[in-house]
Amino acid sequence: MTDQTYVQLLDLACGAFLLTGVLVLWRRDLAAIVRLFAAQGAALAAIVIVLGVRQAATELVIVGLALGGLRAGLLPYLIRRALPERGGPDAEGRETRPVVNVASSLVAAAVLALVAYAVAQPLIRLAPSPAAHALPVALTVLLVGFFVLVTRRRALSQVVGFLLIDNAITATAFLTTNGVPLVVELGVSLDVLFAVLVLSVLTNRMRAAFGGTDLDELRELRD
Amino acid sequence: MNLTQTAFGLSLTLCLAAALAALALPRRARPAVAGALTAAAGASAVASGAAAVAGQGWSAWYPDLLPLLGVRLALDPLGGVFLAVTGAVAVCAAIYGIGYTRHGLAGRGVQAAMPLFVAAMLLVPAAAGVGTFLVAWELMAITSLLLVVAEHHRRAAAGEAGQWYAVMTHLGFAVILAGLAALAAHAGGDAFDEIRQAAISPVAASLIFLATGAGFASKAGIVPLHVWLPRAHPEAPSQVSALMSAAMVNMGVYGILRVGLDLLGGGPAWWWLLVLGAGAASAVYGILHAAVSADLKRLLGHSTTENMGLVLIGVGAAGFFAASGSRALAALALVAALLHAINHSAFKTLLFLAAGSVLHATGTRDLDALGGLRERMPYTTALFALGALAASALPPGNGFVSEWLLLQSLVNALPEGGVRHAVTMPLAVGAIALTAGVAIATFVKAFGVGFLAKPRGEGAATAHESPPTMLAGMLLAAAACVGLALAPTLLLPYLAETAGGVIGAPAAVTGEVTLRLGGIASTISPLLIACWLAAALVLVLALLRVFAARRARREARLWDCGAGPMTARMEYTATSFAEPLGRVFDNVLRPESDIDVIPAKESAYIVERVRYRARVADRIERRAYEPVLAAFAAAGRAATRLANGSVHRYLAYGFYTLTGTLILLAVIA
Repeated sequence: MTDQTYVQLLDLACGAFLLTGVLVLWRRDLAAIVRLFAAQGAALAAIVIVLGVRQAATELVIVGLALGGLRAGLLPYLIRRALPERGGPDAEGRETRPVVNVASSLVAAAVLALVAYAVAQPLIRLAPSPAAHALPVALTVLLVGFFVLVTRRRALSQVVGFLLIDNAITATAFLTTNGVPLVVELGVSLDVLFAVLVLSVLTNRMRAAFGGTDLDELRELRD
Repeated sequence: MNLTQTAFGLSLTLCLAAALAALALPRRARPAVAGALTAAAGASAVASGAAAVAGQGWSAWYPDLLPLLGVRLALDPLGGVFLAVTGAVAVCAAIYGIGYTRHGLAGRGVQAAMPLFVAAMLLVPAAAGVGTFLVAWELMAITSLLLVVAEHHRRAAAGEAGQWYAVMTHLGFAVILAGLAALAAHAGGDAFDEIRQAAISPVAASLIFLATGAGFASKAGIVPLHVWLPRAHPEAPSQVSALMSAAMVNMGVYGILRVGLDLLGGGPAWWWLLVLGAGAASAVYGILHAAVSADLKRLLGHSTTENMGLVLIGVGAAGFFAASGSRALAALALVAALLHAINHSAFKTLLFLAAGSVLHATGTRDLDALGGLRERMPYTTALFALGALAASALPPGNGFVSEWLLLQSLVNALPEGGVRHAVTMPLAVGAIALTAGVAIATFVKAFGVGFLAKPRGEGAATAHESPPTMLAGMLLAAAACVGLALAPTLLLPYLAETAGGVIGAPAAVTGEVTLRLGGIASTISPLLIACWLAAALVLVLALLRVFAARRARREARLWDCGAGPMTARMEYTATSFAEPLGRVFDNVLRPESDIDVIPAKESAYIVERVRYRARVADRIERRAYEPVLAAFAAAGRAATRLANGSVHRYLAYGFYTLTGTLILLAVIA
């Protein structure tokens, strides 16, 4: 792999990673959001595999493949199982009234990208490599994920927001270092898997108990 | 390997074994085994402390036990005194606790926390490094807090007392931590030996002394940091009350002595005038509140504040004399302070254990509902009387000897001192005299109203004597009181050596039967006083017998104004006994009373019922603490508006904080 191909492939994967993250803000249909999340998982796997091939590190490629299997396959499958069945009340399957509307959300995402770019500069100066130059992308996705948590009402959007943050953290780890050890990555992935399992169970319970998954309905639960 | 080390290690091991046994054993065996092991640990600590006082010093460093600093332990004579006192109190309390905790307090938590509390109190005077000291201090605070709230299921007051105690003790810990950390930083080392060698600037030393002094004074229950003490000490189980009131408060005095006189090497005179003033204020304020208190254990708690005040008068005087050059007097004042601390531990253990027996037998601590216990609880009554005699500082009680020594050191300062002496010492003497007078009234009230006359309540009427283990614990404490009263001369030379070592002066007290003070003409012989008093008593009784026998005895009913047999309602109660005192000291105490008169129907002149309620609130608490608490509560209520239950709002707080910090970083960088 020549230097140029490497940089182009890496930038392509990072671009896909960022785009899928921002598009989560754009779509209202929960099923579409889950598909976007799956695509982002694939992009993340691509980033890791490109890095692995570049360094000729078999272990990193294996980690990338496993990541792809988990984040583009297993996690979206689990979330999809918690989606309301088709034919139910239409409002349940859609993000009807986000706290901040879609247009403003996209503007906010642009501002967050600027912040991430500014914050990442000192980190990039530490080790100016092509991978480190892609760092603002990961930080942007992290802030966007947090933004999704704050502004989206449905429980499943919240789960996706949480997973966007986790994807971004993983991406940051791989872009700033020469690869994370397999054991560490396995541990993190297992945690995320359990979190999603628990959250999807909770979502189903919420729907059974309250008839909806709007988190603001829970306001009465405080002391 | 000397006796000090062996016995100290043994006592710590026994404490741990007691805690483990309490966790592992079944409920029925638990109090006996844990109590016996704790008592053995206490006895071993007494041996270790005595060996240390006798001159067998010991020090050790275990670098691996605590991260970074390691555990430093050392026992010198000063630490040995406090170690031995703590051990002795633990023996009495643990034996007493076997019978006391069998009914309702035999849970794992209480039984395991008690030996750990004892272990922590043994570690405090043995600590020889800042880190070790702080760990032991905090362990002592946490275990005692667990014990204070042991009965919160039964009484809501215990929970409230626990809150006060937790807040006060942790504020105290925070200032001690700050002070000692600053001390270690200035000295460039954690070990006390390094700190003693270091030169510390006067300003830094003063700040350190003030910070640590405030924390230690709060532990000793000194005004105005005493508010937790009359709440927490009564609410704990009685043997824990004894441990806290007779052993734990001493650690405050130990801290002031260790940091002020030893580590900082004396310091300027104003430090010690401050200590003396706080001690005098506590002595007077504490005993006045004890005098008007109608709750037996609360009365004893206030009396602890009083006695710690007296001890601090001695400590303050010692530091003051040392700073102004009269070292012999300083050593004498310190001996008096140490002896009073020991005496107080002895009689306060006895009194709290006896009060626990009363509570155990009658289910109440309210003096107004007690009375008439003399016939049903003869041993407890006799033991409480002995303790009350000691606490009121009358000869031949043990409190008398130490207060006499204290007065001697203060009175004899006048001829040679300057203006400061001439102003301070008479005031201090006056405070001690006033305290002693009110203390007599207080303990006459506690004993007379609580134990004599007719029972005023259901519980007092059906009281029963305590089980043998409880009596044994009280008897041990009583034996210590009698021994200290009759033969303080056996102990005083060692205390004089200890105090002389701390101050840097020759021993201030000598003598085997008659005490002679170094450089002062006064002497006293407690044993002879006791003999004379006993002889006089025998003589009076014999004369009465002789003269009374001449006339025939005649039985008659007591004069009752012709109103029929006298009932218990006609007796003096604790409240009515203390009422005149409340009037005399109206300016300090400000008792609040309200009278509700409810007239009969259709007549304004025929009264159906009159209700009188009197309450003496702590004015310091009302003026200084309640506004602060109210401000905190208001701030808390205002802050609840931030939390409206919306998950999005909570997440938004995090989001804004994160992005705000990032933007700030980006701008700064």
